[in-house]
Amino acid sequence: MASADATVRAPDAETAPAAAVGVAHQIPRNTLALLMVGQTAVILPYLQQLSIWIVAVGLFCGMWRTNIYLGRWDYPKRWVKAVLVAACIAGVALTGVGAFSLEAMASLLVSMFALKLIEMKNRRDAYVVIFLGYFAIAIQFLFEQQLLLALYQVGSFILVTAAMVSLNQLQVAARPLPSLKLAALLAAQAIPLTLVMFLLFPRMAPLWTVPLPGSSVTGLSDSVRPGDVANLTQSDELAFRVVVNGPMPPPSQRYWRGLVYSDFEDGGWKARERRRARDYPLPRSTDLEYEVLLEPTMQTWLYALEHSTSVHSNVYLTLDGRLESSDPIMSVFRYRAVRHDKPDSPAPISEQIRIRETTIDPEANPRLQALGRALIAEHGTPMAMTREILNRIRREPYAYTLSPPTYPGRDAFDGFWFEGRSGFCEHYASAYVYLMRSAGIPARLVGGYLGGEVNELSGHLMVRQYDAHAWAEFYDPELGWFRVDPTAAVAPQRVERGLSAALSSADLASLPLLSSARIGNWDLAGSVLRWMDSVEHRWNLWVVGYDSNVQYRLLGDLLGEVNAARIGIAILIGGGLGLGVVALVIFWGRRPVHRHPVERAFRGFSEALAAYGYVRRPEESPAAFVRRVADEVGLKEAQVGPLIAELDTLLYNPGVAWGGRELRALRSQLRRLQFRLAFGTTR
Amino acid sequence: MKLALACLLARGHLLIEDLPGMGKTLLSHALARVLGLTYNRIQFTSDVLPSDIIGTAIFDRERGDFRFIEGPLFAQVVLADEINRATPKSQSALLEAMEERQVTAEGVTRPLPEPFFVIATQNPSTQTGTFPLPESQLDRFLMRIELGYPDPEAERELLRGGDRRQVLGRIEPVLDLEGLSHLQALVDEIKVSEPLIEYVQRLVAYSRRGADFAFGLSPRGSLALLQSARAWALLQDRSHVVPEDVQAVLPGVVEHRLREAADYTGHGGGALAQKLLTSVDVVG
Repeated sequence: MASADATVRAPDAETAPAAAVGVAHQIPRNTLALLMVGQTAVILPYLQQLSIWIVAVGLFCGMWRTNIYLGRWDYPKRWVKAVLVAACIAGVALTGVGAFSLEAMASLLVSMFALKLIEMKNRRDAYVVIFLGYFAIAIQFLFEQQLLLALYQVGSFILVTAAMVSLNQLQVAARPLPSLKLAALLAAQAIPLTLVMFLLFPRMAPLWTVPLPGSSVTGLSDSVRPGDVANLTQSDELAFRVVVNGPMPPPSQRYWRGLVYSDFEDGGWKARERRRARDYPLPRSTDLEYEVLLEPTMQTWLYALEHSTSVHSNVYLTLDGRLESSDPIMSVFRYRAVRHDKPDSPAPISEQIRIRETTIDPEANPRLQALGRALIAEHGTPMAMTREILNRIRREPYAYTLSPPTYPGRDAFDGFWFEGRSGFCEHYASAYVYLMRSAGIPARLVGGYLGGEVNELSGHLMVRQYDAHAWAEFYDPELGWFRVDPTAAVAPQRVERGLSAALSSADLASLPLLSSARIGNWDLAGSVLRWMDSVEHRWNLWVVGYDSNVQYRLLGDLLGEVNAARIGIAILIGGGLGLGVVALVIFWGRRPVHRHPVERAFRGFSEALAAYGYVRRPEESPAAFVRRVADEVGLKEAQVGPLIAELDTLLYNPGVAWGGRELRALRSQLRRLQFRLAFGTTR
Repeated sequence: MKLALACLLARGHLLIEDLPGMGKTLLSHALARVLGLTYNRIQFTSDVLPSDIIGTAIFDRERGDFRFIEGPLFAQVVLADEINRATPKSQSALLEAMEERQVTAEGVTRPLPEPFFVIATQNPSTQTGTFPLPESQLDRFLMRIELGYPDPEAERELLRGGDRRQVLGRIEPVLDLEGLSHLQALVDEIKVSEPLIEYVQRLVAYSRRGADFAFGLSPRGSLALLQSARAWALLQDRSHVVPEDVQAVLPGVVEHRLREAADYTGHGGGALAQKLLTSVDVVG
């Protein structure tokens, strides 16, 4: 028999003999095929995160299982299994992702999931594989939460469910398509309840700490050396999206501050400040409200406009005026922020901070140091000095480029400023900060993103990695911290119109294909990408970004007061409604179709009569039924004759034309008879 | 009897099945006489050959040519007596004749006379020395009827009277060719309403879906059912078909077309027809 399990053909001599595995416990062929396809689908997305040998394990197991099925190979012996398991554990250990990292756990899960395939003998084993499949689908979301992946996982889910469905079907159901259809139907029927649970079920804090994926995410880091930001422009990955409540500020106003690099060490800048601002600024007039949907960064810093605060429970303001999250951002993080007007009287900075913000390496870049001292002596105020520096950049042949020459050694800034004279934003900002600090003026490097692209479809702002930017701030007792962007002097287009306008054609050509499409070289591709982005944005806004904060707000709006009892009642009502809708749809699909109005009327009549004990047999025609009932009750021919004739004519004589009037007359006759019978029986 | 008449009015072939001595041959004889049509009788035995039925070409010495001698099939009413005693080979000679109303012999296709009826009689195939008719052949009979034992009243009459064959000789044709074709045309004019067609469809669908049925009714089966019901309605003097007409002809039309899934030998047709009747709702 074609659908017989492989156990029949290839009995395992070592464990249960073939006869012991009864037909009832065998895995049908259909299930096996679906299970293998489903397993492949489940493992496939892990390719991005896990090392390639795990896929090899999966392929190997698939091949083995196929050969078992064909009767060529045997089930693995016990020692073979032991060796395989040990090899997989060793493999995970050797991959070197950390013993208790999420990657290691997922690798272990996926490899064991694959190995279970060749061990699987009876139905119980198949169920284990199926539940592992569900688990693996869920685990994948710890790594990524994009829309495409979610859609893909729905497909995997249906495949795995189809395997389970087929496991419970008769052996004769050897085709996978009906099982798939049923599984898809089941999934569709689960949608209403899923929605209700998604909206209402409390987002609980995890009971244990999940090990987090390692940081292999592109983005700004807390230390910057010349060239780091330029590398980021190679990536078109999304950094974050912003929804602005009100008019979108112009590009030159969109400085998204992320990190403040205050410490100068070993020729590079470091951002270390994590302390909370002690005196939280009093509520000032609100300038702009916006909401940021930050892509996972695995870091704690957030991006915000200058002078912004947030009321999010997990977000706080740091001493250097940035927003920071209490926990690393592992999935899309959604926070509202408010930009305030600039304070009238700036807060003074402490001596400790003044020292930190003026520290330079006294031995590095001597020429810049000398220039800084000369400039302050000449111009007096920090503002005048800044103006002079920017003028010099404008006047002299400085160039803005993605691929500047490398400036080696301790005196790299000297090399850039006096000899190379071509660099990216961080070169100009670094040199500027160095000049200011040499003059004893507190100044610091700021990293973040500048500009971003507005998606016209949904009106949100997309900020990508290639929008990464570095600029500077100096401190003036009257102005407070004041933003200076030396890049604006060398390449004003960068600030006003974005990266593509500022780059030379050679630089543009060096960008990856997608980036250049996004930057706007191809209109069609660009608009498709923008459309996809707006879909993804809504997904983030409504699904991924639906965290406990948003949920609490929504529940507050819906229920008035959020407490356990109300949430419980809401889940009960919502779940009941959801299931009710599904039940209605199912019953609606199964309702008998009475196309003929007379048949419908008569059926209602006969069903009503069944309640009084006059049950119509299926083979009784309407006329025969009425006659029988009339005979039983003892009605005279004159009382039912017209009705019988009418029923006969309207139902079966197409030669007689009739309309709504005849139908109504018939209905009222039926009602009268029904009434008479009901009355007769109660008496 | 009435069913047999309805069958002929519906232009269908009739299969009469019962035990020997129940009056099958007599009935078919009588039918042919009443209708006043040309009439041939073929007595099937196991050594009847197709050429015995269709006819054969023999060499005509005078003309120096082959001449086709028409077999007994070339008549308006053919009584195929004891059809299941013939070998399958000869049975199948009737196949083309019954459906296409033409025969092909010696490479020449010849039309059969109009109208053309086959009335076949057979003994139940459990009787010794019979060849069960194949499904393809059975399907070509519009109806299969059983005569059953006569009721006591009729049997007493039977026993009192003399030889029934003599009665046969006294039967006068009551119809001529024109009268018959007029009646047949009337059958086609009997009206059928949508709900009734749906009822027939439900019956057919049930036979195709039901677990007890080895296979369902063919489209030819459903057509036959409706056409017989029309003829029955005409005999009831009604201008349209009602469910009772369908139910009256249903056993005759479907019994020989159905097989039980559990017992493929073909003796469950009657039970299946009853199941159809009692399971399928008249009202949609």
